[in-house]
Amino acid sequence: MKQFNISRILIEEGAEHDSLAKKILRRLPNIPIENVGPDELAPSGDIEGMDKESLRLMHFNGEFLKPCPGTRGYICCGYQILNVGTNCPMDCSYCFLQSYINQPSLRIFSNLEDNLTVIGEIIDSSPDRIFRIGTGEFTDSLSLDYITGWTDFLLPFFSRRKNSILELKTKTSSIELIINSRYRKRIVIAWSLNTPRIIAHQEHKTASLKSRILAARKCQKAGFVLSFHFDPLIHYPGWEKEYQETVELLERYIDPESIIWISLGSFRYLPDLKWIINRRFPGTNIFNGEFVPGLDGKFRYFKPIRVEMYSNLSQRLKKWHDDLGVYLCMESDDIWRQSLGWSPESSADLCSYLDSRVRNLIPD
Amino acid sequence: MERELLRSTASKVEISDIDLESGPFSMSFNFNLEPLKASINRFGVLNPPYLLKNSDSRFTVVAGYRRLLAVRELGWTDILCQIAPDTFPPFKALLLNLSDNITHRQLNTIEKGMVLKRLTRFLKREEIITDFMPIIGIRANKQTLELFLGLEELEEAIKASVAMERLSLRVAGLMTSIARDDRLRINDLLTSIKWSFNQQWEATQWIIEIASREGCSIKDVIDGGEITEVLNSRRMNNPQKVRSIVKILRARRFPTLVETEKLFRKGLSHLSLPLGVKIIPPPFFEGVGYRLEIVFTKGQELKGKLAELSRFSGLERVTDFWKGKEHR
Repeated sequence: MKQFNISRILIEEGAEHDSLAKKILRRLPNIPIENVGPDELAPSGDIEGMDKESLRLMHFNGEFLKPCPGTRGYICCGYQILNVGTNCPMDCSYCFLQSYINQPSLRIFSNLEDNLTVIGEIIDSSPDRIFRIGTGEFTDSLSLDYITGWTDFLLPFFSRRKNSILELKTKTSSIELIINSRYRKRIVIAWSLNTPRIIAHQEHKTASLKSRILAARKCQKAGFVLSFHFDPLIHYPGWEKEYQETVELLERYIDPESIIWISLGSFRYLPDLKWIINRRFPGTNIFNGEFVPGLDGKFRYFKPIRVEMYSNLSQRLKKWHDDLGVYLCMESDDIWRQSLGWSPESSADLCSYLDSRVRNLIPD
Repeated sequence: MERELLRSTASKVEISDIDLESGPFSMSFNFNLEPLKASINRFGVLNPPYLLKNSDSRFTVVAGYRRLLAVRELGWTDILCQIAPDTFPPFKALLLNLSDNITHRQLNTIEKGMVLKRLTRFLKREEIITDFMPIIGIRANKQTLELFLGLEELEEAIKASVAMERLSLRVAGLMTSIARDDRLRINDLLTSIKWSFNQQWEATQWIIEIASREGCSIKDVIDGGEITEVLNSRRMNNPQKVRSIVKILRARRFPTLVETEKLFRKGLSHLSLPLGVKIIPPPFFEGVGYRLEIVFTKGQELKGKLAELSRFSGLERVTDFWKGKEHR
């Protein structure tokens, strides 16, 4: 299991009594500890580099379970985000957190475990609704699991809830802890995938494509349902062949029958992010594509380019298996139709489509 | 801040004993000494410069850098100065200079960058943002601070373009990420004819990105035949040249978008719409809603045009003309 370098622990005022904070401190006995105020930036942190060697334990006062903000003018999937923390120890050049959150350090919400009851009440109060919940939106779900022990309590918690699934999304191959757990039901292990070239040049400190797929295979053999996310798709010379080869690798190692869904999304960014990426990763070629302002103010590849990428990849996926639950992340009805040949037409209908996949693949 | 009187000593100092390089406290760049020289010639130096004795027994200028340059050019050999005590802290010397400057003149953009850069020797960036950027009239945020701090590493020619407001600050910031010869070439292009700052920003981004996309140098992009031809054209005036270069760069930076726009215009041209009627696609073809624009002077004319349009065959063919011709 890959372990990342943690050089100090910052404890925010109020976090010291949280049960998760105490567990984490026991797991990291020899790391220097500094106390900081809630809004105080830690002294001498590598702010520019996002201070990824500092683990900041904080008592989170917001809502732990929140709908994915989605985006204006496009069809969204109705996902629920379980806020476990923000930032991750890996360093993808394109990561939206650099501008979206813009707060340094690996931030862990130390009162998560103490709030599970509240989260449970929310889920249990709508028994007819399917909650598709993930922890991988604002951090990587597994990269810090050896420190946080998130899966120790999240797996049993979600396994016993009939109207929810927990998706753990990662770019690591750190699966030892989940494999060793005895919970499988309603847990989806998800990998964010890209071509080896993009992984090598843009997804710094992450596991290689092959390691990710081999880890997925182990999880599948151990009885977990899988999902994959080709997001962000990057348009560059040779993309077509290299994304096809990425699918071929999936095909070689993964049984398509227990894949709950595969999402496709293209690289998109808020204007501020370009400045940050150019500064943190000088000479990056990630902005070389033809980007135009989208309906939500984010820059996206010009429509025909997106259509071409989605249709190319979805056709290749279809050749592998015709029931993979392929869907587009934050795209318009128009793009859906041109790329996939059908459209859910609205966010609500995409929700229903994905919920039905949960019901079919993970029956009570 | 605690009020503290500076206890300096008046003393006549040989000009040759003063370090007249732009020192650690000076914040002057790209100035015209002639008016100051004329004033000194007529009335003398009204406010004495402030100096600090340095370790090799020479003097460093705390305030009055331009006055000293002016008297040197006027051929003076010595000047009455105020000498700050040896214990005078460098940070206070910097504040004295800043205070001296901002009370009687506007700092240019490069000079503001010099102030901020010098402050980083003594203060954390957060303190500079909150306590000093507003004083010198800069929007107080981290991004802007970093932009200003990068200016000092640029070449004199580029700094002069920024100081004279012939080159946009944002563009200068972008230039810090590219090689010396490349930014000098861009500076030449953007200052040899008059561009708006927005045009400069777009063109610079596109030039850098075209070089990266096509795997060629920035010099190759600028010196490529088309742009050189426009620059040398005798038929075009300067605004026409700028517009042409922007068009050339845009087509090269966004080939699919520009091709799609062409296809759309071509598709519409086959329709021969009535005079004063336009169909406008969604911005960048991103949305799905097209707009119809009808120019008319009176309601009667509008009614006529609407009737004509309703009979117009071919309107039903208005569509995303690019569909089915996806990028290859």
